[in-house]
Amino acid sequence: MLLLDIVLSGLVLGGMYALIAMGLTLQYGVARIMNLAYGEFLVAAAFLAFWMFTGLGVSPLVGLVVAVPLAYLANWAIYRVLLVPLVNRAKTQGQLEVDSILATFGLLFIVQGVALVLFGGQYYSYGYLSIPVSILGTTVALNRLLALLFAAIIGVGLYLALTRTRTGTAIRAVAVSATAARLVAIDVRTASAFAFALGGALVAAGGILVSMFLTFNASMGVIFTMKALIVVIMGGVGNLLGALVAGLILGLVETAVARLLDPGLTLAATYLIFLAVLLVRPTGLFGVAAR
Amino acid sequence: MNMRHAPWLALGFTLLLMVAGLPLIASGYVLAVAISMLSFTALAAAWSLFSGPTHYISLATVAFFGIGAYTAAIGGELMPWPLVLVVAGLVGVAVALVVGLSTLRLSGIYFVIFTFGLTELVRQLVTWYEVNIKGTVGRYLFLDIPQAVIYWQLAVLTGAVLLIAWLISRSRLGLAARVIGEDETVARHAGIDTTWAKITLFAISAAFMSVTGAVMAPRWTYVDPAIAFNPMISFQVVIMALLGGTGSLWGPVLGVVPLVLLFEFLTANFPNAFNILLGAVFMTIVYFLPRGVVGLVQDWWPQPVRMPAVTAPRIVDDAVLAVNGLGKSFGGLVAVHDLSFRVEAGQIVGLIGPNGSGKTTVLNMISGALKPDTGSIHLCGRRIDGLLPDRVATLGIARTFQLVRVLGSMTCRQNVEPAIAFRARPSSGNALDETADTLLARVGLAAAKVHMPASQLTYIDQKRVELARALALEPKLLLLDEWLAGLNPTELEEGINLIDSMRREGLSIIMVEHVMDAVRSLCDHCIVMNAGRLIAAGQTTAALADPEVVRAYLGGPDA
Amino acid sequence: MQRSAIAKLALAALGLSIVASAASAQDKIRIGYAISKTGPFAGGAGVTTLPNYQLWVKDVNAAGGITVAGKKLQVEVIEYDDRSNSEEAVKAIERLATQDKVDFILPPWSTGLNLAVGPTFNRLGYPHLAVTAATDRAPEMAKRWPNSFWFLGASKPGADALAEVLRKLKSEGKIGDKVAMVSVSDAFGIELATAARAAFKAAGFNLVLDKSYPIGTQDMQPLLKDAMASGADTFVAFSYPPDTIAISDTAKVLGYNPKVFYTAVGTAFPLYKQKFGANAEGVLGVGGWNVDSPALKAYFKRHAEAIGREPDRWASPVTYVSLQMLQQAIEKVGKIDRAAVIKELQTGTFDTIMGKIKLADNIMPIVWWVGQWQDGEFVGIAPTKYEGAKPVRFPKPNWKQ
Repeated sequence: MLLLDIVLSGLVLGGMYALIAMGLTLQYGVARIMNLAYGEFLVAAAFLAFWMFTGLGVSPLVGLVVAVPLAYLANWAIYRVLLVPLVNRAKTQGQLEVDSILATFGLLFIVQGVALVLFGGQYYSYGYLSIPVSILGTTVALNRLLALLFAAIIGVGLYLALTRTRTGTAIRAVAVSATAARLVAIDVRTASAFAFALGGALVAAGGILVSMFLTFNASMGVIFTMKALIVVIMGGVGNLLGALVAGLILGLVETAVARLLDPGLTLAATYLIFLAVLLVRPTGLFGVAAR
Repeated sequence: MNMRHAPWLALGFTLLLMVAGLPLIASGYVLAVAISMLSFTALAAAWSLFSGPTHYISLATVAFFGIGAYTAAIGGELMPWPLVLVVAGLVGVAVALVVGLSTLRLSGIYFVIFTFGLTELVRQLVTWYEVNIKGTVGRYLFLDIPQAVIYWQLAVLTGAVLLIAWLISRSRLGLAARVIGEDETVARHAGIDTTWAKITLFAISAAFMSVTGAVMAPRWTYVDPAIAFNPMISFQVVIMALLGGTGSLWGPVLGVVPLVLLFEFLTANFPNAFNILLGAVFMTIVYFLPRGVVGLVQDWWPQPVRMPAVTAPRIVDDAVLAVNGLGKSFGGLVAVHDLSFRVEAGQIVGLIGPNGSGKTTVLNMISGALKPDTGSIHLCGRRIDGLLPDRVATLGIARTFQLVRVLGSMTCRQNVEPAIAFRARPSSGNALDETADTLLARVGLAAAKVHMPASQLTYIDQKRVELARALALEPKLLLLDEWLAGLNPTELEEGINLIDSMRREGLSIIMVEHVMDAVRSLCDHCIVMNAGRLIAAGQTTAALADPEVVRAYLGGPDA
Repeated sequence: MQRSAIAKLALAALGLSIVASAASAQDKIRIGYAISKTGPFAGGAGVTTLPNYQLWVKDVNAAGGITVAGKKLQVEVIEYDDRSNSEEAVKAIERLATQDKVDFILPPWSTGLNLAVGPTFNRLGYPHLAVTAATDRAPEMAKRWPNSFWFLGASKPGADALAEVLRKLKSEGKIGDKVAMVSVSDAFGIELATAARAAFKAAGFNLVLDKSYPIGTQDMQPLLKDAMASGADTFVAFSYPPDTIAISDTAKVLGYNPKVFYTAVGTAFPLYKQKFGANAEGVLGVGGWNVDSPALKAYFKRHAEAIGREPDRWASPVTYVSLQMLQQAIEKVGKIDRAAVIKELQTGTFDTIMGKIKLADNIMPIVWWVGQWQDGEFVGIAPTKYEGAKPVRFPKPNWKQ
């Protein structure tokens, strides 16, 4: 019973972690953009959901239909306008990494600044689908369960899309080596823009889903960026299935530590697991050797 | 190097004098801004010590800063203050050693995030300890250290970091770090003990960060994990250092000073639009100042070019390699099986066979890049199998790579110098430049190209640089991995002559080669491999005529 | 080359404020503050501190200003963002005092930042109205820095007030002796939990669950399941705003219905009522106010009109009180004499929205520690000796889905 309880609660929490990490693994793994403003976009989506729900009375799930394509377009534009010059300028991948870190660090402040002007610094929270669901005698919140389901669907769905379709193959090729992909006539820039925009759409979906149950404010983006980074790195950069598995592992570990050991050690356990995974597999659970 | 640093040094000295006198005239606010500047300069310079040349971007700055702050909070009222600072530095070094040893296998983004995770882990553990063992979280630190004294401590500390950074940049350690940053594999094969170099730098850098934390802590009266381990500090330091440009000693200063002033200016005048403006300024800088402030400065301040002096080469010694029963498998794939052969002094041995027959694996085992599963390798009677590449390199085996590996952003001379500095009988100072230039001339690189970044060279010239770097180790045995591949007929002719001349000077060579004309004209002996096994060995003509060799080549998938 | 460029930048950074300060004759009173508009503290500062600074300035100026020697001086504000960073906060205070030469400085938000700027306030001789600083060492601080005033009390009286409420319920036979307690791993949560351990023990309670959790914990389910399993009918959480919301939400989802449900910071926020609506009914938390006081009611109304939302029911009125005290102290002294204002704050009696207030050893005498949502308002429950304290409603109704 306790075990079942831990597993279910852990999976639900892990689903949320995986959900917020998947966009980043695409953006970093394929488009090679280390997006430090990632969490800010997530919070922006949460604010959008809040505004639609409390101001217009639109359910967040309906909001997804509007926000996800919108985020796709916005991120596509960001990539084409702001990041392509950096991609063109960079001679090596290392240089692109440094440049994208610096540029998105600036972007982080802009997005956060706009959110502060619009919403101020205080906390926001609204309740949606905060109703209990009983599974095998364990209670979980429907909105959190939904986040897990979305994470699983997106993770497995995109994984299949990437491994079974032509476009997917192109994207994976770019993730492995942009130079080599070019040699086999893959349009690297289009593939990268697509991956970055898709990542942006995923983070918007994540932001809307977590806004149903988390309390947030304009300054919280960096917390999500960091959590997402941990999950992405642990799963192996660019690997959606890796992000899903890593997220679930973290959720399970945190829940187990909280129930069995000491809630004060949950975050310590997270980082310990993360560090341990990297020490054993220096490129993450599903990562291929980088060099 | 000396010439280039002289004006900087003078400028630095003047600045230091101005810096020291500041508290006597400045208001509290100016002093507070100056404290901010100094603390970030110290952190950014300490960060650049390790991360600048090696290109390992560390987000662990605040872990060490926080450790220092906590050391001050715990020890501040128990020990005399100077002792607190020493202890803070030592604790920082101790943690850095543990961290350094555990992160050796990581590189790139994995290292970056690992260091971030580490910081958070330290913070969580400190919190847990304080809550569960001490029953509180914050620590009060009532030390009446006036602003001016904190300022002076920071000034001395910053001076010390810059001085150490300058000394290191002139030392073998600094050279090693730069090569690691360019290409860690090359570094190892140039005789550099990369583990030692990375950990030493990391620990020195950590010590300074910890002391900075300890100096700053009394300013806040109250230290808790959220204050001491605020991750924004790590990010700010990285941003400031990158903005300044990490390639130069003064980069951190040039990044910190304008950024702190910019932060102040925006905070003071636009408190409500601070974030938006900061972001906008930031992006402007990234797009219009791509190489940092240092890049801007270097555009006005061209680097002096000096002509190389040439002296006679000196590359001969006895060399004997004995390989016995060598074997290596990758998972189920047997790459090399029970291979034995010898290389006599002054001999060129050709190692040939179809693609995938295990030739490069053999070279990798000899040079230390791979550890053999079975068998032994002896160099001049000394067993070397299983030694790390840098050790093998200093013992006298140099190599080139199948895909040419030069350090692209470094000049040709800088490509060669690390090997001279780290070989068994190292040179330093001016001799370094001279020897490097001699070697480059020896392999036929035009003198005018000595100061060119290696990435701008033609293919053959890059191969020349790589060869010069190998020769710089004063090797007993040289391993050439398809060094002649991809050259045009004229270049091939030159290359063959070059290798031949090295043999005449007494160097022993193993060459993996597909260019059969070269093999016939250069090699005394040949070893022929197929599917990981030796199929023929002996005099070149005889070995190549062996029926099994003919079959292997004609029957191979891509001979 | 380098130096002149740097010097220009430096001048640009400092210049504007120097020019601004030179123009000030004493026809207005300049008040400055640095508050966390960004960073982790922005959430708390944006609810409790900043709106009250803005409201107070608006109120004062609407009434003509602060009367100094028979002349009404308008309040002019200089505002900075400390970015939730100790070093920035110290620097901002220095800037306000030595560059902007403001007449008075209002404090930042949070215990940590108030302690960080304490020595600077003290050295510069400005009164330091540390409102949002809850520390057990407040009496010691007040001695060390006689210019500092502490308004949110210490954890011991807080824990005692809560224990008093619970003991009464126990003596009436309404609850058993088991208490489940969780606390956030930050100074506030830990100090309160430590004090509560002693207070609950003295009141004859038995702590069947006593756990702390890290700041930023995103899933409260494990904690609450442990609390449910503990069989306690009293649940106490010394929590921060996001945790308070998450704990309440999770309790609702899990159908965890202890007879007494207490969450700390954030319970008194308008956000809580907005999010939980009727479900907030009966929840206990830190804070509370005298709902019968017309002055406070008027304050609530003004706050809602000026800021666009209601104030929180804990530190917001206290913040406003501290500002009223500052204003009255200045008026009583009759000139901008900071040392005299400090003296007046130490010894004077002030007429505020919370009634007549006289600080005892620089410490605010009225601190509501237990409040409860009753009919859509967060009323003060304990300490019961305060004017307007209401009886606790028992038991808390079950969560409605």
